[in-house]
Amino acid sequence: MVNLWPDYPWGGPATIAFGAYSRHGGTRGTLVAPAQGQAVELDNIWKRFPGVIANAGASLRVKHGSVHAVLGENGAGKTTLMNVLAGVYRPDEGTLKLHGEDQSFAAPADAIAAGVGMVHQEFRLVPTFSVTENVVLGAAPRVLNRSALEDQVAALAERFGLATDPRREVWQLSMGERQRVEILKALWRDARVLILDEPTAVLTPVEAEELGRITAAMAADGRSIIFISHKLDEVTAFCDEATVLRGGETVAGNLAVSDLDAGRLGELMVGEATAVSQRRVRTTQPGASALDVTELRVVDLHGRHIVDGVSLSIASGEVLGIAGIAGNGQRPLADALAGLIPSTGSVQSGIHDLSSASPNERHRRGLSYVPEDRIGVGLAPRLSVADNAIMRTYRTDAQGLLIDQDKSVAHAKDLVERFNVKIADLHSPIAGLSGGNLQRLLVGREVDGNPTVLIAAQPTRGLDVQGVAAIQRVLLEQAEAGVAILLISEDLDELLALSDRLAVMHEGKIVAEFDPDKTTRGDVGVAMTGAVHAEGASA
Amino acid sequence: MRNLRLVRRETPLAGGQFRAVLVGVVIALLVGVILLLATGNNPVSTYLRMLDGAFGSPRAWSNTLTRAVPLGLAGLAVAVAGSMGLWNIGAEGQIIAGAIGAAWVARLAPDLAGPLLIPLMLLGAVLGGAVLALGPALARARLGVSEIITTLMLNEVAIRIVRYLVNGPWKDPEGNNFPIAPEIPDQAKLPGLFERANIGVLIAAVVVGLFGWLVSRSAWGYELRIAGSSERTAEYVGISLRTKILTVLVMSGMFAGLAGGIELTGSASRLVEGVAGGWGFAGIIVAALALMRPSGVAAVAVAFGAVQIGGLSIQTQGVPAAIADILQALILFGALAAAVFGNYKLVRGEPATTLDTAGGAA
Amino acid sequence: MNEQTLIGLVIAIIEFGTLLYLAALGELIAEKAGVLNLGVEGMMAFGGMAAFWAGVETGNPWIALVVAAIAGTALAAVHAVISVVLGADQVVSGLALTILGLAMAAFLGKDLVSKPVGTQFRELDLGPLSDIPWIGETLFSMSALSWLALALGVATWFVFTRTSTGLALRAVGESAATADAAGLPVVRTRVIAVMIGGALAGMSGAYLTLLLAPGWSEGTTAGRGWIAVALVIFGAWRPGRVLIGALLFGGLIALEPRLQTFGVEISPILLSMLPYLLTIGVLILLSIRSRNRPSAAPAAIGQTWRREER
Repeated sequence: MVNLWPDYPWGGPATIAFGAYSRHGGTRGTLVAPAQGQAVELDNIWKRFPGVIANAGASLRVKHGSVHAVLGENGAGKTTLMNVLAGVYRPDEGTLKLHGEDQSFAAPADAIAAGVGMVHQEFRLVPTFSVTENVVLGAAPRVLNRSALEDQVAALAERFGLATDPRREVWQLSMGERQRVEILKALWRDARVLILDEPTAVLTPVEAEELGRITAAMAADGRSIIFISHKLDEVTAFCDEATVLRGGETVAGNLAVSDLDAGRLGELMVGEATAVSQRRVRTTQPGASALDVTELRVVDLHGRHIVDGVSLSIASGEVLGIAGIAGNGQRPLADALAGLIPSTGSVQSGIHDLSSASPNERHRRGLSYVPEDRIGVGLAPRLSVADNAIMRTYRTDAQGLLIDQDKSVAHAKDLVERFNVKIADLHSPIAGLSGGNLQRLLVGREVDGNPTVLIAAQPTRGLDVQGVAAIQRVLLEQAEAGVAILLISEDLDELLALSDRLAVMHEGKIVAEFDPDKTTRGDVGVAMTGAVHAEGASA
Repeated sequence: MRNLRLVRRETPLAGGQFRAVLVGVVIALLVGVILLLATGNNPVSTYLRMLDGAFGSPRAWSNTLTRAVPLGLAGLAVAVAGSMGLWNIGAEGQIIAGAIGAAWVARLAPDLAGPLLIPLMLLGAVLGGAVLALGPALARARLGVSEIITTLMLNEVAIRIVRYLVNGPWKDPEGNNFPIAPEIPDQAKLPGLFERANIGVLIAAVVVGLFGWLVSRSAWGYELRIAGSSERTAEYVGISLRTKILTVLVMSGMFAGLAGGIELTGSASRLVEGVAGGWGFAGIIVAALALMRPSGVAAVAVAFGAVQIGGLSIQTQGVPAAIADILQALILFGALAAAVFGNYKLVRGEPATTLDTAGGAA
Repeated sequence: MNEQTLIGLVIAIIEFGTLLYLAALGELIAEKAGVLNLGVEGMMAFGGMAAFWAGVETGNPWIALVVAAIAGTALAAVHAVISVVLGADQVVSGLALTILGLAMAAFLGKDLVSKPVGTQFRELDLGPLSDIPWIGETLFSMSALSWLALALGVATWFVFTRTSTGLALRAVGESAATADAAGLPVVRTRVIAVMIGGALAGMSGAYLTLLLAPGWSEGTTAGRGWIAVALVIFGAWRPGRVLIGALLFGGLIALEPRLQTFGVEISPILLSMLPYLLTIGVLILLSIRSRNRPSAAPAAIGQTWRREER
């Protein structure tokens, strides 16, 4: 076979060490099954969606019995490529081979039959079904012998170290356990190729470590695992090889993980030419403190402290970034500050004590909120652009009982023009708008009316390049105008570029704080795992 | 066949909803033709006679408008709740409760002067409807119990309460042992308007018009629509969902109750078991065809009033009045089906590419 | 009260229980697949009218039963197409189905009202078994349809809990997206479940017009279809509990005309409210219980599913 996949011989060890659950260091040779060629060969895959080319000639080769990382930024085309492999999408061009044989999938069922299993980010499980019922669903014998099936599932679980009780119902399980059920589902169908879509996003460090052992066991069994990620640390810990996607193309294939270098990899993922978020240039200095939060706690339905004693303060004109792996309390922190969920502790904005204030009162006192779910929380999908534009002002603008129609339309027009929202009609529902336009409308509405504090949760997630730039520009303008901004993001580059200070959340606590000018992605990444209190952390 | 499937249109068809209703009407009339032919009736003359019975004379108009009153108020009840994404399936029972409330006032104060008694009876009716809606409203607001089933169940309870009353304590001693309550006093009857119509038509028109306007124009209605679009957005804006659910469902019960009151003080003049006449259920179809917009209820209610009165007017020819109900249901089914094609199109081809682009493709 | 009145009561309980159980079982199957069908009352009436017509025409109760099942299925198919295939709201579609079914039954059955009964189901004579005192006169004398209802109940329970088909159907009703990801045909499963529900509601109607109250008249279903809807909730979506509920509610209906015989001074009309009030009570209890755990109701009930909106 012609070697289209040159090695990239970069020197230097990976910069982040995960000794605790690294697959490497002596055991590597024994874990990988003897090379028997390629398990997966995706060649020159093209997939176009209206207005977007998701895959532009992407390729992927996964060796039999290996754990293969697919890396790339959000929007690099990872998920689309995996959906092609899983039979969810049919590629516009390109070929797919499994174990050397050509394949063409018309539906997910075809891929399942061919031995491809996919564990999605959102689990596809029936909460009221037992583990066994979930595992065998769609692949069960006509008549179910419960105890026999339970024994079989238990045996399968044991074989790969997937500790689970086959009788428990899924709603009683932790996220880590649910993920194991998903993996069991694939194994039950005897998946030879297993796709894990950002599997560690929902896991605690201990569970992630466990997952490393499970993938190793599956690879040792001769299965091939594709591990989608945008986190270098996991890749070095769990995987044998890596493929990097950028802009729908494969920019590097089959890199040996042991040779990976964080800097070079980052360059590959981001691309040198791509304009990275510009580091903020200050023209003003932070003023007096605008938001003081002390010992904020949020308890969930199960009694867990999902926000566990968070204290922070933000000066006017200052941007405090919050980094963290998804699900470590960022979302409830934002919701609690906006007053949407109950919390204990103190929230002060200037002279106002907002600790027990309603969402309404908080907003009146100058606290604006761009929530993570734009549609469904920040915006009402079935209402018109005009109706969505006046959500924060209709109370004060009302004429007695009635909404002032002229004022409302004028207000909507003003927002649409100032924030460059592209719409067909002020009076048609917003449901048809693109993500970027929705976010322009939402952010515009929230910064209109001169807030003193702005909480922005994942404000640029899922937006195209212009959208990201536009939203970041608005945030910076607001900071320059003296607004105190709490920026929660999963995009580390964005945080490093925009923040004056960068705090890291882990398991509901702020575990570290960095000066973005004097730190690297790697240091912050380590703090995000909660395992290490990085040097330079000042919190 | 296997390859046919629905794909969301990038932009919904302009005026698709209105067209959908027209399609529904056409489908209903066509199926009606088949049914009429199958039962040996002349469809053309039947339809013409229905049209004549509904609109052919001032008297026909008065009947149609009188029937549109309970349909419109029940439709308003359903649509106001529906604007917030709530289902009041209990309008039928609340109409009964309203009629009971009004009749009760008349029993308590039979000698009051009309100008005093009628408003009090209507107030009793409104309260009656509210009382029946209160339980489901509380259960939904406080405990999250689905209001669909509770309101539905209370319909059957209300029917039995009125059956109990007219067979027992409120039975007319001079009613030849019929299960009817005594006639309400003369001064308690609504003044006439023209032909058979009474001023109930005006009352209903004002109420439906006013609340249709309030839902689309007032801050209160705006909040209702936010909550109907997304509960979490309502919380985000600082709207108290519990209070909103409670007030909206109770208010919904009040509208249906008022329908019962107008029926009793207007056309019925005495409490009978069938005082609600199925109009509460028909009101759900009215509201659905008005797309849950209170402002659209009045027009649909008049149209349905015409279908029902038209249906009654052909009974003399030996065609069962049930044809009216059949047409109503088929109009709705046709419109529901057609409305789907306003937002979706039928496509032939491979299913895989129709899936939404995943996050990675954004 | 004497022995004969008591035996009469037990027979009436079985009869009303059978009527309710057939319809409730059908609704249960549809709801377990995630489709609420509020058209039971309409399907029951239409099926009952069709059965009576077929009985008059053929004189064979079994043919009439099949005709009723087909009639119920045909109406249910309307609901399935509108709410499952096209994805319109299940509540509106179901209610419209009730109106349509009642009206079609009244319209097409106009000339049947005065007709004499063509055929009817009779009590089953199981020979010596039927001669046993008490049990023989009640249980072992009940009609073949009651046995059929019981058998269908057991079969439903078996399919739900012991077969892959049942697992798939329940998965479709709990989480359509999950079922779809597992390669199961969501729409087809729901359509079939709704149509089976219609067949059973139609059979329930046949039981009404060919046995319980032989004859056809408008309004003969008298709200029994709504009790069937209530029963599914009362029985917390389990075939066994729904059977108990059917006998309980059937018992309440059976008691209505007998209250005075038993010397109870409550109006039978007030007694007849109990099934609905009990159902509301159970619904409230279920929702309080499901605060820390998933609800007993199928999670996807009432929700439209389309693959593209995942």
